[in-house]
Amino acid sequence: MKPEVIKELNEIFGEDRCKTNPSDVYVYGFDAGIHRSMPDAVVRPMNVQEVQKLVLLANKHKVPIIPRGAGTALCGHSVPIDGGIVVDMQGMNKIKEIKVTDLYCVVEPGVVCDHLNAALKPYKFFIPGPASSEAATLGGMMACNASGAKAAKYGATRDYVLGCEAVLPTGEIVHLGGRCLKNASGYQLDRLLVGSEGTLGVVTEIILKVAPLPAKKAAVVPYFDTLRQAGEVVAKIIAEPILPSQLEIMSQTCIQAVNKATGMCLQECAAILLIELDGHPAAVIDEVKVVRRICEELGALDIDYTEDESRIAELWKGRKQMIPSLSSLKEEYATVMLADDMAVPMSKVPDALEAFQEISDRYDIIIPSYGHAADGNLHTKVLMDPTNPDHWKQAEKAVTEVFEAVLRLGGTITGEHGVGITKAPYLFIERSEAIGALKAIKRALDPNNIMNPHKIQEWEEGFVTHLRYPVEAS
Amino acid sequence: MKVKHLKKWKNELITCTMCGYCKNVCPTFLDIGWDSGSARGRNVLAYGMLTEELEPDEVAALRLYQCTLCLDCLRRCPSKVNVPEIVEAARADIVDAGLATAAQKEMIDTVKQAGNIYGTSETRVPPQEGDITLFLGCQYLERPNQVKVILNVFNKLGIKPKIFEEVCCGVPFRNLGFFEDLEKHKEKFLASLPTRELVTFCPTCTLFLKEEYDLPITHATEIVAEKLSGANPKKLNIRKLDIKATYHDPCHLGRGIEVHEAPRKILEAIGITVKEMPLNKTTTRCCGGGGVMLISDAPLAGMVAKKRIEQAAATGVQELTTSCANCVGTLRTAAQASGESGSRMKVRDIWYWLWQALK
Ligand SMILES: Cc1cc2nc3c(=O)[nH]c(=O)nc-3n(C[C@H](O)[C@H](O)[C@H](O)COP(=O)(O)OP(=O)(O)OC[C@H]3O[C@@H](n4cnc5c(N)ncnc54)[C@H](O)[C@@H]3O)c2cc1C
Ligand code: SF4
Ligand code: SF4
Repeated sequence: MKPEVIKELNEIFGEDRCKTNPSDVYVYGFDAGIHRSMPDAVVRPMNVQEVQKLVLLANKHKVPIIPRGAGTALCGHSVPIDGGIVVDMQGMNKIKEIKVTDLYCVVEPGVVCDHLNAALKPYKFFIPGPASSEAATLGGMMACNASGAKAAKYGATRDYVLGCEAVLPTGEIVHLGGRCLKNASGYQLDRLLVGSEGTLGVVTEIILKVAPLPAKKAAVVPYFDTLRQAGEVVAKIIAEPILPSQLEIMSQTCIQAVNKATGMCLQECAAILLIELDGHPAAVIDEVKVVRRICEELGALDIDYTEDESRIAELWKGRKQMIPSLSSLKEEYATVMLADDMAVPMSKVPDALEAFQEISDRYDIIIPSYGHAADGNLHTKVLMDPTNPDHWKQAEKAVTEVFEAVLRLGGTITGEHGVGITKAPYLFIERSEAIGALKAIKRALDPNNIMNPHKIQEWEEGFVTHLRYPVEAS
Repeated sequence: MKVKHLKKWKNELITCTMCGYCKNVCPTFLDIGWDSGSARGRNVLAYGMLTEELEPDEVAALRLYQCTLCLDCLRRCPSKVNVPEIVEAARADIVDAGLATAAQKEMIDTVKQAGNIYGTSETRVPPQEGDITLFLGCQYLERPNQVKVILNVFNKLGIKPKIFEEVCCGVPFRNLGFFEDLEKHKEKFLASLPTRELVTFCPTCTLFLKEEYDLPITHATEIVAEKLSGANPKKLNIRKLDIKATYHDPCHLGRGIEVHEAPRKILEAIGITVKEMPLNKTTTRCCGGGGVMLISDAPLAGMVAKKRIEQAAATGVQELTTSCANCVGTLRTAAQASGESGSRMKVRDIWYWLWQALK
């Protein structure tokens, strides 16, 4: 990077909040995905004016800037492919306002999801978060349209963003949406920023809707001989109609991994459902009865039940840490973030799970399946030796087959994690007719292509590239 | 630069999914702010050194030495990636690269020459014979008044402890990454032991003696708790203190070897009601002074300690007690330096209170 750029960065941020030394900068070349590439500098803005100055500087010098929250995104979202300046937003972490009587709160983008929920709890409100909620920032969640296990009942981040302040790629500070629950004043540009993965602007403040905490929760955990049985139970519960607050499905490999990593004693069988019901106490008790009956009728091997909040929290903690848990399953294998969050229409969940199992069986890698069955969002990961080039070749083929199966079933390649780099090749298949429009939006808003370049529709290579693992020569 | 000590951690470094669960539990990340100052970031630095993409430099060294070795990342990590041991191995490679600071080298030289961290070879506590053998550790030996209090307590409880000429257990060598020196020192240490069965005080020594030497160690609070639980309070003449305090679990005691009930039983027995901080027992938050931080980055240690004092103050009490001389020192300094929130917090060792109840 040119010395004058560094000089100007130091003028904006001071040496304390601008790093260009190789060691501090090296760490920002990685996120929780499979890719990495080094930035030239990292800065930590503390307010919108600093962000604006940075964006103007980036335009002047045509240097890429890459907004970043906690760096937990899974597809190389914040990996600086062309170097440039990483904008670490974690320092902007103030909760500015909580106004539950108007059902909203205002936060800076670096606030961690769990920290916001801790602050909302005394008011008896919350916002639903992803499994990474203890680390992920609200800016990252908005930019990825993150959602978690509660999405079927409570929605995704997009359903909570009422408005935001952002610096557009050309440097204008804009205020989009607002503090009202309803807003029809023109193009919903705040919605455009949701899921834009840092390619259309830097979000500097977010107005979020809040949801009331339910008065009671109960968990039903049925065990099954086959994945298909579990899938049928899901369909029947929804058709009842009952909308569980969480409904997760775990295959045998995942059950083993969670038991091993957490010491939980889930029964090992072909499939488990973790069903959480919440709401008014009387309604919860009625729904539990119905859910139990459905599980019994459809041949559950056994059913666990609890109303104990701490036991429920423990169950979800086990499920939430599935990704890292899988990594400790087999010594020489690691969890590799591939084909990680497809979604299919709910009725197709059993077909999808069987298709994934069949693909996994044909390759020398393990593809465990788990996911949010109530919204059709299925997770797989690839367990492989990421230093072995042959495994990458197999993974590439298997992943392609997984995505093909999902699209055949009328699904999407990503229900919640987004596209980044890793899923871009398949976006071109899923959204082939919309790629032109997506590119036109990017060009219109970011004429100098400085804002997190080469992501989503702008990535036109395969995904086995810029790997963060030391792949041995084949 | 080719690394030597990090090689054995290659699998773990690849297994790390970079999930970030260890970020917000890392006490130093919260104050450093940069990802390179978090547990996950330290893994990445180690990975860079291992793959030779990153030439170790002063900044890498600083970030790695800014870890307090509090073990909270390891507790939280679902993949069980042992970040603290990876950090120590990375430090050993940093030492090999000639990047240890003058203060770190000086401490190592002191232990090499004097056999302890305080640097004088004079006997701090006269040896004596007894029924159980105490290993007081440098942190307590450096504070002879506290040792007197401990001996008074034992005396009152009718336990006669054996005291011997101690040699440092060697944990500073490992913590600071002087692995070769540690191997030499270990022989010296083992030769100094009159027995393998030791009763310990310093949580860090306790954990290290178990892990490095596989010695059958009992922490002193366990012995005292047992004695108090079986005893008739009248016979022991225990004065109930009727005080409210919060108890800070030292990382290596509360989390490292999970001794957290014994100190609480003691406090209950002497009439101290414990108001728990939300981060307690295995989820305790570091005082800031672990990992030999006080000589690597004392201001950072102070910032971490200040947060802990604020957590203590939030319980509404004005007494903090703990079972570690190092924690007492770090937290007391922070309490005295902090403003409104913590300045009224008194920080005292559990042995002080025991003596108040028994004397
Ligand atoms: C163990 C684990 C479990 C996960 N579970 C889930 C899950 O259940 N559901 C789910 O949806 N995701 C999940 N994720 C993915 C990830 O955690 C989420 O996408 C999360 O929202 C990312 O937040 P972050 O702060 O880490 O963002 P980062 O990774 O730092 O950034 C993500 C993207 O957002 C952009 N960005 C960040 N901040 C801003 C800003 N202020 N302005 C503009 N752009 C910005 C970045 O440029 C980047 O493109 C999981 C990840 C892990 C590691
Ligand atoms: S060390 Fe463990 S908790 Fe930390 S990022 Fe790696 S896998 Fe996650
Ligand atoms: S041991 Fe403690 S200070 Fe060190 S990296 Fe882990 S959590 Fe951070």
